[in-house]
Amino acid sequence: MSGSAEPVVEPRSSVPAPQLQALLLEAAAIAAVGLTLGLIANGVSPRGLVLSRDYFPPTPVQGREARALPSGDRQTAPGAATAKDRVLVRLAELGLPAVDFAGARALFEDPRHAQELIVFVDARNDAAYTAGHIPGAYQFDRYYPERFFPTVLPVCDTAELVVVYCTGGDCEDSEFAARALLHAGVARERLRVFAAGMDEWRRHGMPVEVGPRGSGDFRPQPP
Amino acid sequence: MNDPVNWSWGERSQDLGTWLARAVVGGLYVFMGLSKAFQPVEFLKLMRQYGLVETPWVLNLVAATLPWFEVFCGLLLLTGIAVRGAALMSVAMLAPFTVLVWQRALQLQAAGQLPFCAVRFDCGCGAGEVFICAKLAENGLLLMLSLWLVFAPRLRACLWPEPFRR
Repeated sequence: MSGSAEPVVEPRSSVPAPQLQALLLEAAAIAAVGLTLGLIANGVSPRGLVLSRDYFPPTPVQGREARALPSGDRQTAPGAATAKDRVLVRLAELGLPAVDFAGARALFEDPRHAQELIVFVDARNDAAYTAGHIPGAYQFDRYYPERFFPTVLPVCDTAELVVVYCTGGDCEDSEFAARALLHAGVARERLRVFAAGMDEWRRHGMPVEVGPRGSGDFRPQPP
Repeated sequence: MNDPVNWSWGERSQDLGTWLARAVVGGLYVFMGLSKAFQPVEFLKLMRQYGLVETPWVLNLVAATLPWFEVFCGLLLLTGIAVRGAALMSVAMLAPFTVLVWQRALQLQAAGQLPFCAVRFDCGCGAGEVFICAKLAENGLLLMLSLWLVFAPRLRACLWPEPFRR
């Protein structure tokens, strides 16, 4: 009857039981195959996640918040401090000193910075880092520690002060990166967190280095 | 009856609609899935914002596999393999996710004292920051198209539309 080799699915007005069974079987097979492929793709991807790793270990402050507030209300609960304040409170609880913009600038202009006795560590990802970082800062994307530790740890070990920063605002990566460095053996008293981060740095018109570290492409930021 | 020459205008329109639905839903899944799959850490951070999952390995598992799963479903729809099953999985992903995005927008609206449609945030959809009303409309459209594909009377221009159909 049909003059075409194309497979044709007959019309139907509803989904009878055998078709429903086939549909559910199809969906289940897709779920199984899709999940397996997802795991394989994540495993072979250089940016894949380590499934067993806790990327967001809670601080004592977060633990108390979690008990006091229902999930989802932690960012917006009435009376809760701003995101920046919460970061500062957590840093204080962890014994990690925070520096504000004036402090970060003073450290940047300190002659020890040129001697790498004061080191800036950028906790953002590749794209953000290459788009512009504090001149001379080392990148440490803490989600991929095995990639960055070999470069960053020896520098941090010999530095007198290590200043960690990320974007600023509600960015937590500088805090987590500082904790990762702490756990890797960098002494607590040598760590500082510039919580206001790159946003504040740019806002004050400070120079940024574009591209990889040592690119020499320094660009002053319009204030 | 099955001779293409004898297909009515209605049948042709229906086939075109079904094909377009596959192209739109499948194409979006591939695009959105890949944009997340190449930045799994950013997706992980966004997933964490919803506060749904506290267990680290479960959160990691969802963030690591969901983008690739979306790409897989998108490719199935585009190529016409197991179309109804892929569309059903699309509904299963979209419906709860839309509710979550809506709830998150309500939280942000309350926190910022904003009109609902002025709420703009990165919902983890793969398209960056979006206005909530536009996102809800987009998800509503995708849901309808996915449901259409589940119940479409017939499927054409497909490699293997219903592999389990007897």
